Amino acid sequence: MGEFFSFIGNNLADFWGYTGFANATLGHFIMILVGCVFIYLAVRHEFEPMLLIPIGFGMLVGNIPFNMDAGLQLGIYEQNSVLNTLYQGVTSGWYPPLIFLGIGAMTDFSALISNPKLMLVGAAAQFGIFGAYMLALLFGFTPMEAGAIGIIGGADGPTAIFLSSKLAPNLMGAIAVSAYSYMALVPVIQPPIMRLLTTKKERVMRMKPPRPVSHTEKVMFPIIGLLLTCFFVPSGLPLLGMLFFGNLLKESGVTRRLAETARNQLIDVITMLLGLTVGASTQASEFLTMNSVFIFMLGALSFVIATTSGILFVKLFNLVLPKEKKLNPLIGNAGVSAVPDSARISQVVGLEYDPTNYLLMHAMGPNVAGVIGSAVAAGILLGFLL
Amino acid sequence: MKKLSLGIFLSALLMVGLSSCNPKRIDSKLLLNEVLMVNENNYMNDYGIRSPWIEIFNKSYNVTDMAGCYLRMSNNPGDTVTYTIPKGDVTTKVAQRQQAIFFADGEPNRGTYHLNFTLDPEKTTWLGLFDTRMKLLDQVTIPANTLGADHSYARVDDGKPEWEVKGNSSKKYVSPKANNMIKESNPKMEKFAEQDKSGVGMTVSAVSVVFTALLLLYLSFRFIGKYFSGRDEKKAAAAAQPVATVKAEEKKENKSAAASDEVYAAIAMALYEMQGGMHDVESGVLTLVDQQSAWSAKSGFMRAKPERK
Repeated sequence: MGEFFSFIGNNLADFWGYTGFANATLGHFIMILVGCVFIYLAVRHEFEPMLLIPIGFGMLVGNIPFNMDAGLQLGIYEQNSVLNTLYQGVTSGWYPPLIFLGIGAMTDFSALISNPKLMLVGAAAQFGIFGAYMLALLFGFTPMEAGAIGIIGGADGPTAIFLSSKLAPNLMGAIAVSAYSYMALVPVIQPPIMRLLTTKKERVMRMKPPRPVSHTEKVMFPIIGLLLTCFFVPSGLPLLGMLFFGNLLKESGVTRRLAETARNQLIDVITMLLGLTVGASTQASEFLTMNSVFIFMLGALSFVIATTSGILFVKLFNLVLPKEKKLNPLIGNAGVSAVPDSARISQVVGLEYDPTNYLLMHAMGPNVAGVIGSAVAAGILLGFLL
Repeated sequence: MKKLSLGIFLSALLMVGLSSCNPKRIDSKLLLNEVLMVNENNYMNDYGIRSPWIEIFNKSYNVTDMAGCYLRMSNNPGDTVTYTIPKGDVTTKVAQRQQAIFFADGEPNRGTYHLNFTLDPEKTTWLGLFDTRMKLLDQVTIPANTLGADHSYARVDDGKPEWEVKGNSSKKYVSPKANNMIKESNPKMEKFAEQDKSGVGMTVSAVSVVFTALLLLYLSFRFIGKYFSGRDEKKAAAAAQPVATVKAEEKKENKSAAASDEVYAAIAMALYEMQGGMHDVESGVLTLVDQQSAWSAKSGFMRAKPERK
């Protein structure tokens, strides 16, 4: 009888060794707390809920402690575990291009086509990437790691994941979480900079309404866009190719069902998997390092530089533009390609100073140019550093 | 003037495109990579015998099958010997950026990697690699008496166009089934770490490329936009002209117009419905798109819920 109880006791002790309680560390609890904060921000304040809910929940999933020596194939970093299999889309870099396909299928480039000079605003905001690159080098990161960190300034989650999976897979979790966190915090980061860098007179500037864009122009845009940008930067092909392909599905008008799938079901499925696995990749043992702290700091600075350079570029550009074609500097922040949030910020801040001045359509131009610009910048970094 | 500038822009684009074409580029995936003719203390074959060998390199980033390809050797015109790499052997698939070794021992019955010819270092030797349709993939000529014992004639680095004799110094080593040049670090990274410590060089070059790419896109759509705006204006003017003419005639002859304002309104409404997404444009499929309006709103027809006062 005594042996039987001892057997039961040993079994329970063994079982205890496999539970989360026995394997938990302080790091696990910190990461679980961060995950809960993400979910709170998404639910309570609606900060990018589509991203923060999957990432936040992924953090909980990835930080459930378990006995890592038992070979249970549970963790995201254990080969052939379910999470590891789902994570292949991130590590092999095929989730981000599929997201770009959906983005292309839901993006209307009319604002950009009707006023193509806004493309240059999108290009100017990419200074954020290279500003962060220089700062990362200063902090002692290698050029490849610095390139991956710099792309946070592009404010483009899929691009950040794509590039970091190629240049610095060891930093991908921190880079992805940082990029998505700051994208969610665009309404907090950008307005003070916009107010600081513009005068009241500039904020109420009215822009010429965009001209109507013909169907032919809309169909030509993805084709010419792909050819021009990818001949220049072939390494941007996975992202730019899918972005323009999605847009052609939308604009051709004859593939409505495909466009619908790309911009609804497909992008939803991939967003869920991407968010969840990126969140789960923040396993405490891999994530809680000083590097992550630096990456978060550099991420914030890159957003500040990108917003600043976008606004200053518009102000500079206005010096050479004729009076009737001048741009409202409040759309400069939209060059940061957090679509459509940064364009919405231009609209909101603009309306604060003139309730009848609607900047949204104008800001969408640099906003979508920012998407193209950040994908081009990612291609350049890949080409230069890989 | 517009047409002239458009022409200049397109010509410049075409010239940049054409000038960047490089006809000398090697497009072949499989390349001859290294040849050793006198094997005294070098790589041994699977029979434990040392014989001359030829290394083939898969330059691509994908698995490539050599089955059905031809390896040809000649010392003099007209004496070409051809070896067909057998089909049906799974080992003929070469992984990306990997090498395969063929032994020139004149014993083809010993297996796939044993050639039906040998190599003579005292004669000028031509080697050619052909694909399954006898298209030349790569060739090399090794001059007579170039190679000593355990020396190889190899590309300086895998897949690179330059060849050199290896095995005569510690830096130039014979490397069967291995990279011709061992890289202990990433040269690009080293270059950046040495010459661009602050990242300014990268920033300047990358930002210029981003700006140039988007500037090209801007210029293209500036021209396209101008063309379409001009075309639309012309169309609008042309469409307005007949109406004006009819109205003028109507006034002149004091007769009723060919088409009344109601007719134009009906045409406009029909056009509006057509363009407003009533149907999609997939050929052969009729899809009616539900157009929500006040007439179809259920709430408009429902009685308000009575409230007790």
